[in-house]
Amino acid sequence: MLKIKNLKAGIEETKILKGIDLEVNAGEIHAIMGPNGSGKSTLSSVIAGDENYEVESGSIMLNGEDLLEMDPDERAHKGVFLSFQYPVEIPGISVSNFMKAAINEKRKNLGQDPVSAKDLLHKMKEKMELLNMQKGYLSRNMNEGFSGGEKKRNEIFQMAMLEPKLSILDETDSGLDIDALKVVANGVNKLKSKENATIIITHYQRLLNYIVPDFVHVLHDGKIIKSGGKELALELEAKGYEWVIK
Amino acid sequence: MGLLDSIEKYCENHVIKNDAITSFLKEGFPTTKDEEWKYTSLKKIVSDDYVLEEGASDISADEIKKHSLNIGEQIIFINGVLHAKPDIKGLKIEPNVLKNLSYEDPISALNSGLAKNGYSISIDGGVALEKPLEILFLNKYEANSFLQYRNNIIVGENASIKIVENIKNLSNNTVFVNSVTDIDTKKDSFLEINKLQDYSNNERTIDTTNINQEKTSTTTINTLLFGGAFTRNNLNFFQNGVNCESNMNGIVILNNDEVGDNHTYVDHKKENCQSNELYKGIYLGKSKGVFNGKIMVRPDAQKINAFQANNNLLLSDDSSINSKPQLEIYADDVKCSHGCTIGQLDEKALFYLRTRGVSKEDANAILTFAFASEAMDKISIPVLGDRVKSLMEDKLGVNLSI
Ligand SMILES: Nc1ncnc2c1ncn2[C@@H]1O[C@H](COP(=O)(O)OP(=O)(O)O)[C@@H](O)[C@H]1O
Ligand SMILES: [Mg+2]
Repeated sequence: MLKIKNLKAGIEETKILKGIDLEVNAGEIHAIMGPNGSGKSTLSSVIAGDENYEVESGSIMLNGEDLLEMDPDERAHKGVFLSFQYPVEIPGISVSNFMKAAINEKRKNLGQDPVSAKDLLHKMKEKMELLNMQKGYLSRNMNEGFSGGEKKRNEIFQMAMLEPKLSILDETDSGLDIDALKVVANGVNKLKSKENATIIITHYQRLLNYIVPDFVHVLHDGKIIKSGGKELALELEAKGYEWVIK
Repeated sequence: MGLLDSIEKYCENHVIKNDAITSFLKEGFPTTKDEEWKYTSLKKIVSDDYVLEEGASDISADEIKKHSLNIGEQIIFINGVLHAKPDIKGLKIEPNVLKNLSYEDPISALNSGLAKNGYSISIDGGVALEKPLEILFLNKYEANSFLQYRNNIIVGENASIKIVENIKNLSNNTVFVNSVTDIDTKKDSFLEINKLQDYSNNERTIDTTNINQEKTSTTTINTLLFGGAFTRNNLNFFQNGVNCESNMNGIVILNNDEVGDNHTYVDHKKENCQSNELYKGIYLGKSKGVFNGKIMVRPDAQKINAFQANNNLLLSDDSSINSKPQLEIYADDVKCSHGCTIGQLDEKALFYLRTRGVSKEDANAILTFAFASEAMDKISIPVLGDRVKSLMEDKLGVNLSI
């Protein structure tokens, strides 16, 4: 599904990603771990199409199509979804209106008519139940005054609504207490299928107790320095990153 | 020849002489040297030629229908003349008699001296109008015209009324309108006026509203400015009794070479009163905005709550806004807050929306709507709210499904 080859990217003069190779197939869950500042969020931003980052060389292909040629909204239409490490507050727009805009743009792109208010509400209710969310949530302004945990849950809610092919969850576990973590993990697991893939970015292994990855990669200083199976996460937890960085 | 010469000639030909016009002719039109007109120049628009004796064309029933808002009751003025009015118990609607008109500055003196048309609305004490009242003003003049209206509204004790002013120029000729509305709101009354200013590029407007409030009255003016070559609004509130509430909300969205200037003044004269002011400005193209909000708190006006905010979004490199709060506070027990912001759309929020599949144009529009939403929420008439939304969409060139 996703093929990243020798990706080098940075911001202005600073090189951040220094040659990333990564292949993710449909049905797989990959975890990317690594210390703070190693480039994890940069990698997810570059995949999502953040124009603040300059791609120096390399390629990102999604199902044979060149993502780097596309605008962020086109990438979303192709099935890319990023759960932000720091979701943005947008005063003046409610969660339900935000969702309506996103769903309808997706439908427009597929040549479908706008969703009816009834169908939309029904689907939103269903996904809110899945994620154990409070009733009043839909009429609140997007992320405004949300707690850290609420923001993360709101990201997974959008993911559930948009049904992406490739989801990148950037530090979705930070800010969640253990109960919320279980709810979110349960949601992600329920949304998993043979057709979609997930990249989980985290620097703790605790989320991986609930969402079990097929592959674990260690990112350090803009490069993937080690890859392995799910046991690599446990090893990292026990021995620390110094053990792989050396 | 210019407007000033035309006015002089008109007065000579009609042998018009009164204190107001003499005062105007002595001072002439204000220039940018005048503090009140510092950022808005009348120079160009008064150097054009206009006729003062207007020949007007008929306006068809279809045209009336097309421009009506259908929000409830309706008064229709065609070329300044009362054409239709509703029959409601306790509500008097008549042509204004235009006597004993006061003036403070040259522009209102000009109006007081020469105004020819206008309405007079009064609502009896204790009467609460159920449906909003639309005042539809349609003009179709056969030449470039300078027009002056003088209106008068009296809201009786404990009466309540909501009004929507809807003004349209249907001809291709330019109109320059200088109108003044004098309002008296009696004790315990409630008045809301919505000024729907969806002007076209051949409309030039100076609109002055003077509101005299008696005790425990609540008056709200919502200014919805969506176009027009040149618009200057003056809102002047005088709180003459205790426990008054004065609310001013504004949404301004301008494009191309449009100029929009909102001047507001609240004179807190008595204690225990409040004023709330929220103006949101959105500027595209080469449009130019001015906001000037003056709040005066007199020595006797203790326990005053005055809130003012003016937030602006510049959506193009060539648009501009001059925003100026002016506070003069002579009482000590006063809560007064004001804030002015000028900015662009938040890049992070734009990216966030786009990662959810929303196109650049729509993401811009959604964030612009979000910016205006706080002021849009103040519109209490649902049909008008819908109209404002579609006017905003037109201005931004989008069709949002939210
Ligand atoms: N927008 C930016 N401007 C400047 N430096 C940045 C920016 N984004 C990331 N960096 C730098 O790139 C490095 C990697 O950051 P990031 O991708 O956020 O790491 P991680 O998510 O692994 O903690 C850090 O040194 C960070 O300071
Ligand atoms: Mg990060």
